[in-house]
Amino acid sequence: MEDKKRYPELRRRLSPGWWTANRHYAMYMVREWTSLFVALYSLIFIYGLSLWATGSRADFLNFLKNPAVVGFSLVALAFTMYHAATWFYLLGAISPVKIGRSTTKPWQALILNLILLVIVSYLAIWLLVLR
Amino acid sequence: MKAETHKVARLHAILWGIFSLGGMIAAFLLPVMIYLTGIAYPLGLWPLNGSRDPSFLVTGTLLGMLFVFVTIAGSLFHGIFRFQSALTEVGLLRLKRGLEAVGYLIIFAGIILLAYYLIVLNPSLPAL
Repeated sequence: MEDKKRYPELRRRLSPGWWTANRHYAMYMVREWTSLFVALYSLIFIYGLSLWATGSRADFLNFLKNPAVVGFSLVALAFTMYHAATWFYLLGAISPVKIGRSTTKPWQALILNLILLVIVSYLAIWLLVLR
Repeated sequence: MKAETHKVARLHAILWGIFSLGGMIAAFLLPVMIYLTGIAYPLGLWPLNGSRDPSFLVTGTLLGMLFVFVTIAGSLFHGIFRFQSALTEVGLLRLKRGLEAVGYLIIFAGIILLAYYLIVLNPSLPAL
């Protein structure tokens, strides 16, 4: 308690627009805001399910065909792919793997995980639709 | 006091763990989910240009239903958790507690509703 009084916590106050100061900060903020599209798509899909549960299957399918939903899905897919790419890069940055004398680089994790994403996506389509 | 701090720290660790898991789910499973339901089906693209539609994902097989639940629940948790955190970085830090409360409310209400609708739409769930 005594220490708290002697050494008060000093927090640097940032202005709401601090992230516009340079490109690095701006890209960080864009990355964080991609989560809005991830969350909104989830909520929209739950809403679509509610139409089906309280109405009919046709309501759900018509909802998915709504031009606004299709437009949003295109934007959401672009932002989700951006989220995926930055997430894979981040994985490589925070948990590099040591192989012999060298350590893996973030871009290597990005490429490896993007290949994995293609495989997982195809596997999901094969298991859930084509089979 | 110390035990209370440990409890809070453990809860934070669990929530951040679920957040990370949600990040993996959103990165690996959400793109294909958005493509199938929001793009391939309405635009008549492969693989939903035949007789199947996205309702098959929900009620066709147990695996499909689990895919929908895991993808939507994980993405919702990750998306809201990260977005409310991002809002505190653009001048809303003083509303942190309120944002967290609203965020968790949306997450848990969303997941409960998702589970409820999936159960309602799959009345023969144990037999799937």
